[in-house]
Amino acid sequence: MKILVAVKMVTDPNVKVRALTDGTGPDLASVKMAMNPFDEIAVEEAVRLKEAGLATEIVAVSIGPAKASDTLRTALAMGADRGILIRADQAVEPLAVAKLLRAVADEEAPDLVLTGKQAIDDDSNQTGQMLAALLGWGQATFASRVKLGDGTLEVTREVDGGLQTIGLSLPAVVTADLRLNEPRYASLPNIMKAKKKPIAEKSPADYGVSLEPRLRVIRVEEPPTRQAGIKVGSAAELVQRLHNEAGVL
Amino acid sequence: MIHADDGSLSEEQRLMRDSCRSYIDDVVTPFIRANWQREWDMTPGERLSPEILQGAEQIGVRTLGVPEEFGGIDLDRESEVRTFALISEEIARGDSGLSDKLVQNWKVSILLREFAPKHLQAKWFPRLLEDPQFLLAHCLTEPRGASDRWLPYNVPEASMNTRAVLDGDHWVINGRKQFISNGYDASLYVVYANTNPKVGMLQGTSSFLVPRDTPGFTVTKCNETMGCRFMNNGELVFEDCRIPADHLLVKDQAMGSAGQYFRAGKIIQAAKNLGVGVACFERTADYVQNYVQGGRILIKHQAVAIRLADMATRIEAVRALVERASKAVDENHPDADILCNMAKVYASEEIMKVATHALELHGGNGAMLEFGIEKLFRDAAIFLHMDATVDVSNMKIIKNMFPKTAGKYAGPEE
Repeated sequence: MKILVAVKMVTDPNVKVRALTDGTGPDLASVKMAMNPFDEIAVEEAVRLKEAGLATEIVAVSIGPAKASDTLRTALAMGADRGILIRADQAVEPLAVAKLLRAVADEEAPDLVLTGKQAIDDDSNQTGQMLAALLGWGQATFASRVKLGDGTLEVTREVDGGLQTIGLSLPAVVTADLRLNEPRYASLPNIMKAKKKPIAEKSPADYGVSLEPRLRVIRVEEPPTRQAGIKVGSAAELVQRLHNEAGVL
Repeated sequence: MIHADDGSLSEEQRLMRDSCRSYIDDVVTPFIRANWQREWDMTPGERLSPEILQGAEQIGVRTLGVPEEFGGIDLDRESEVRTFALISEEIARGDSGLSDKLVQNWKVSILLREFAPKHLQAKWFPRLLEDPQFLLAHCLTEPRGASDRWLPYNVPEASMNTRAVLDGDHWVINGRKQFISNGYDASLYVVYANTNPKVGMLQGTSSFLVPRDTPGFTVTKCNETMGCRFMNNGELVFEDCRIPADHLLVKDQAMGSAGQYFRAGKIIQAAKNLGVGVACFERTADYVQNYVQGGRILIKHQAVAIRLADMATRIEAVRALVERASKAVDENHPDADILCNMAKVYASEEIMKVATHALELHGGNGAMLEFGIEKLFRDAAIFLHMDATVDVSNMKIIKNMFPKTAGKYAGPEE
């Protein structure tokens, strides 16, 4: 059984991102980048399936600039077998990502596609769903537990009302939620070993997919600065201010 | 700024650095902050929880230097010392003692890889890999002195007091070693001893492999230090300690052959020191941007800004020298000896100033044990003396630069 894992390079979750002063987007110059944390969970799940003897090969794919090879190398160090980097220097919208991943899936014929439920940069939460639709495969999004059977899959999903368990037949698309697992660190020996694993470099044109944007960003601005809090003298004053100034009582 | 420039690193180095940083930020720093009292536990074995070393195992930092043929990994040799520097800095950013514990393993593994017979490598490397608590130690310093006594001049009077004599198919070692990193809890030791009292130390010192359970070998105490307390420094005694002849690593020329170890050691020393400086800066930068005094956050007070800028500048200057020196060692440049001593001594003095600023900018909090800044200050102070004092390091620099005058022996004291 073969697993395709899609990983995206995003700004490091610990970094505070600022908007460019001209409002055209976030300021990403010299900002530290890392693998999208939800994709890291997807890679971990794939590696665990392989370690359990349920999967035989893990192919990691990433769409992004040359530097995204770091993200792929991390996936290889965690346990993926080989990588595919589709070079794209501009922002790629979820539909284009899904189309590219469909093309990769057509070529690689995986039994399972794993990816994060969303990327923490644009928080679109669309790629997995669009990909499943394009492929005509079943989908299980927001997975917190994945159980692989014989040609079938049982997935517990985190939904608004609690947990929902669904059954799917393979091939399928699964997107990982936060509680699916705790990803391992890429160990130093495995980082060195990953150096020898192959990464194939492709372009969107190789798959006949256009990256022409369909969405237009009008303006990116920072949320308003929070006002400093105040100390009130008494409970009565607190109630009065909540009533008169905050208007919440 | 403050951290290594990503552009100067290879992809693997970046990934290794990132992996170490995650381990430090997720596991080590929270442990050290929450368990600050454990540093003062007088049962050395109880100080650092075993989980910390097991965590180190998850990222595979305990066994760097073990060759691939024995289950380890080969780093790129042409940038090996730079990689060691990067990783030891990241770990020291979390805890300098932990970093010291681990780097001893790398440094001694390099010696074993270069000088131990294959059958002994095949015996010990797998044991090192298997047991997360397995540590190595390197034993040079003696009660009568270390580099301050014997490195300035290569004459018989300055030789080691620990002697090894061949008796049949065994070497018999007698003597004492002190201030040995990991000495208290290591499982395997590389021990230096005099094997020819008639010549200078550079021609008459041999190195031996000594397993902990060898009869005649005793660990007598754990030295209680002011800093770096999560590494257990030990004192060792050898009384007619018999070592099989094949446990001899380098005969007579051990000091010269170990150059590789000493140079890498100086760089790692400077790099660990840098990690302590970075921790000082990060903690302080955070504090002065949040703590309000006189109606405004500290960083808006000009006197505070001046100190913070001074910290950052010193860290960058140390980093620049460490990078130049580690490159020189990796490339075996003729000035490598001078540069690695410069990096070691400069880092120790500059980071001490950085730590002093950190202490001062934290006000009263800086002096409180539970705040963790005084620990960085103590850890920084240790570096002035570890792996040669500032003065001896300076003397070595000048001896190397002016071998015909400064390096010339003036004769024994009357």
